[in-house]
Amino acid sequence: MSESETENRIPPKKARSRSRMSIDDKTNKTLKDLDVKTPEAIGELFAELSLALDSERQHLIGEGASDDHERAQKVKALRDRWLARKGGQVSLIDENWLKKAPKELKPTVGRAFNQLRQQSASVETEQLLQDVPIRGSATAHPETTKAEFGVGRPSVDITLPGYRRPLGSIHPVTRVMREIEDIFLGLGFSIESGPEVESVYYSFDALNIPESHPARDEWDTLYVNSETVLRPHTSPVQIRAMKKHGAPLYILCPGKAYRHDNPDSTHATMFHQVEGLAVDTDITFADLKGTLEYFAKKFFGDKIKTNFSPSFFPFTEPSGELVISCVFCGGEGCRVCKESGWVEVMGCGMVHPEVLRHGGIDPERYSGWAFGLGVERFAMMKYDINDIQLFHQGDVRFLEQF
Amino acid sequence: MKVSLNWLKEFVEVPVDTRRLKADLVSIGLNAESSQAVGEDIVLDVEVTSNRPDCLSHYGVAREVAALYRKRLAPLEFICKESSAPASAEASIDILNPKLCARYCGRVIRGVEVKPSPDWLVRRLEAVGQRSINNVADVTNYVLMELGHPLHAFDLTRLEGRKVIVRSAKAGEQLQTLDGVSRTLVATDLVIADATRPVALAGVMGGEKSEISDNTQTILLESAWFDPVSIRRTSKSQGLHTEASHRFERGADIEMAPVALDRAAVLIAQLAGGEILRGVIDVYPSPKIRTFIELHRSEIQRVLGAEVPWEEVERVLRTLGFQVERRGTEGWRVTPPSFRQDVERKIDLIEEVARHYGYNRLPSRVRPAPPRLIAGQTRNKELEISSTLVALGYREIIPSAMIDPEENAKFTERPPVPLENPLSQDAAAMRSSAVPSMVHTLKWNLDRYRSDLRLFEMGRVYSARAKGLPEERRVLVLGATGNREPASIYSAEKKIDFHDLKGDIEEVLDCFNLPDLRFEPAAAPYLEKGSAGRFVSGEAALAILGSLRADLADEYKLRGRTVWLAAIELDALLSAALRQPSYKPISKFPPVERDFSLVIPRSTPYGRLQEAIRGLGIEELRSVAPVERRLPGDKELPEGAIPPGHVSLLLRITFQSPTRTLASDEVETQSRRIVAALGPLGVQIRG
Repeated sequence: MSESETENRIPPKKARSRSRMSIDDKTNKTLKDLDVKTPEAIGELFAELSLALDSERQHLIGEGASDDHERAQKVKALRDRWLARKGGQVSLIDENWLKKAPKELKPTVGRAFNQLRQQSASVETEQLLQDVPIRGSATAHPETTKAEFGVGRPSVDITLPGYRRPLGSIHPVTRVMREIEDIFLGLGFSIESGPEVESVYYSFDALNIPESHPARDEWDTLYVNSETVLRPHTSPVQIRAMKKHGAPLYILCPGKAYRHDNPDSTHATMFHQVEGLAVDTDITFADLKGTLEYFAKKFFGDKIKTNFSPSFFPFTEPSGELVISCVFCGGEGCRVCKESGWVEVMGCGMVHPEVLRHGGIDPERYSGWAFGLGVERFAMMKYDINDIQLFHQGDVRFLEQF
Repeated sequence: MKVSLNWLKEFVEVPVDTRRLKADLVSIGLNAESSQAVGEDIVLDVEVTSNRPDCLSHYGVAREVAALYRKRLAPLEFICKESSAPASAEASIDILNPKLCARYCGRVIRGVEVKPSPDWLVRRLEAVGQRSINNVADVTNYVLMELGHPLHAFDLTRLEGRKVIVRSAKAGEQLQTLDGVSRTLVATDLVIADATRPVALAGVMGGEKSEISDNTQTILLESAWFDPVSIRRTSKSQGLHTEASHRFERGADIEMAPVALDRAAVLIAQLAGGEILRGVIDVYPSPKIRTFIELHRSEIQRVLGAEVPWEEVERVLRTLGFQVERRGTEGWRVTPPSFRQDVERKIDLIEEVARHYGYNRLPSRVRPAPPRLIAGQTRNKELEISSTLVALGYREIIPSAMIDPEENAKFTERPPVPLENPLSQDAAAMRSSAVPSMVHTLKWNLDRYRSDLRLFEMGRVYSARAKGLPEERRVLVLGATGNREPASIYSAEKKIDFHDLKGDIEEVLDCFNLPDLRFEPAAAPYLEKGSAGRFVSGEAALAILGSLRADLADEYKLRGRTVWLAAIELDALLSAALRQPSYKPISKFPPVERDFSLVIPRSTPYGRLQEAIRGLGIEELRSVAPVERRLPGDKELPEGAIPPGHVSLLLRITFQSPTRTLASDEVETQSRRIVAALGPLGVQIRG
């Protein structure tokens, strides 16, 4: 007997017959028979009726009709059902409920009854035979023919665009970053962050990149002073997190990084990286490979092929590059992959024992793997964007595409 | 590093085609990015990482190729035909700073004829990107490319006292280097000097005075080993990066010094004639001895997660030049060769094994992390905020955090963080306010014919502190201008105003459990006075909003647009708990609405009406809502309906009880109380 079950989805005919039964059942009985004794119960009873009336009207409006005649008949049926002097719901309530109500409940029933009567009167007055006007405009379209729509006379120009409230959008860099985070959160990693204006120690020395080593030149760095830089990568967060939480540790550090690079279509002074780090007692190169293969397939799709090649980073050893089959040409060779069929997507490796030591973790007991990737680069690959400058201009013509 | 395939093949057989060779080199960490045909030769462009100076030569790459394809690497044997006159009688070498110059080998060649190099030599040098100079200089460059060891040839007769002294420079000493630059030296520069003055910047570049010229007949050939850190320091301080310094600062092979010297001497004698005087003048005060590294099988397993067969470990290390001695059943003693300064630890050896065993042959496994609770994760809260803003129509931006400090000062008094080496004045500091970035972005779009804008940024601001790292705070900035909805057949256009922005912020704040939240007048240097307000929770100011000051808007040329701005303290918000919903039973009884048509003095803010009504503590009061507000002279009202200095306000108050249907006399009683409470505020009931 629940109203909600009968709403809309069930064909209207069936719905009506079922709801009629339940309402008719009630209106044919007295309040006493229905065991309704309190103002509260009366309120509920009338609320149910009011809902039923509304929903029947909605069905009628929403249902459509093949022609005016059919429509008129439907309206008449509804009107008879509720307003007929004999046997209409309103008169039944008057007879069975109001007139037979105990004295103390009469005012309550009377008030509710009046409300319902008003509501049902609208069935009479409503211009159901006319087109339902579209919102904000009284113009109907009487000239539209049956043939154009194929479903009888239209009540609305359905070819007008939907009314869409302006929604905002999430930046593509954030979208990509969240997608990456979601994959690793699913693997049980947690998110860490650290300062962007960072000490030289955390940015380089603790990562096994001493001033005296030429590797240091690979980071074109923006300096605040001789001891402070804008972090040129998110890797300092590794050390901070190791010091703060100890091992075992499985973290992801998304964030901004900065380089002393003149802006062009592939270089930005400010960009985003995601750094990943896993430290535990039994971590091997197999975990690095397996996890990053899993990640790459989750992110780029399971059709891609992955490959690891050796590389050098002072903070990992062995170090590697994760290479995937080109997402644009599928490995056939194109402009994006410089005809090689492969693209490098991130640097990775086993955490260097010196780095673990700087993080206060015993490298004899623990081992770890780490990776770092450029978010803008991922977004460029994912969304086919050819100019990194677009990310930071805030041009709505760009943003609204995401 | 450019590698000529023909040259490479002089040392090792290459059994595959170029395409395959490139792919195979990548698989062992030599990134062969591209190749091109040069005459009958093919030249590969190989990216050599900074830890592998041994691969900055054809011979070094050949060694890797030999290990890769299990081929034999040609040994280096160069026999000089020496004359009977001893070299040591013609020249002397003295190292005053043996820490920075551990070895200096020299040979004297007499009676050379300096002239252009033969075609084959010119072609080979050009193939690898070197310009031909003359036969003697070309030979030193050739040996550099072949064996990776930098050499230098002096005109011996131009060395005062026929002497070479390796010493630290005296501060202020002058040296004109081969590039024509006159350099003032500092005490940390290492120089090669003759009896009186510096003649070369050691390991970096020679001097003009002692340069080989067309008239040179006697040369002193230098093949030395310099300390990497010292060379790097000099190269940096002099701003001079050369093929020689590139190799020395990465670590040259000290044992290669005499070999490369002989190779060069043989070639010079062949191409320029002359006699090689007897003997190498070899000053090597304390020969470097490499110590062995113990490597256990279990350690390979522990790092790589796989058993690599004994034979494979030994083959890889031996073909790469390591001495390998098996120690029982558990491991090896491995001594790295002199050219592998990068190998010092077990992990370095394991990397060598992995590299040549093949990363792709190693196993993979993926396992989730063991659960661990780490407090202070704010991601969910950030997602809640940004999804609320997206629903409200705001687009996320990520502008640059760098700013012109002068511009920054217009928005905040907090000091920004100036950069020592900025790329431009526009980006000379890290911003201490994120509002200017928002204004810039709004302008960018207004200038591009986009006029209905709602944007947000979740970013950081930075401010300098007397000590330690700068303070970094997270902020949320909103910027809005133009229409909330564009005009269409469905709705009339509606301009964004103060209350739009206020409501949007309320939606964001409503995500959180913020005690004692209130709204009050406020001021900021960039906001128009009198129409700015802020949200405060407890003692903390959470958000400030208003419109950009008109004169600033003009300065930014915002085309006369009103720009609404809000700055929200994200750190404070993120430290609050997300609002925890708590269900209250839904009343089954009908609500009763009463409209109050009020005339109120303009000076009475709406907030006071609301306080007065709420102050009555009416239990059945559900809501108080301003429905309509009219000003004096409103065309739809009779003239004089609203006295000057007043406004009319239609207030809709809803009553509802959770336990009963409200009787009309109850509602009337409460309505009268409300009217009475408003009286003292100068409120009259209209009509």
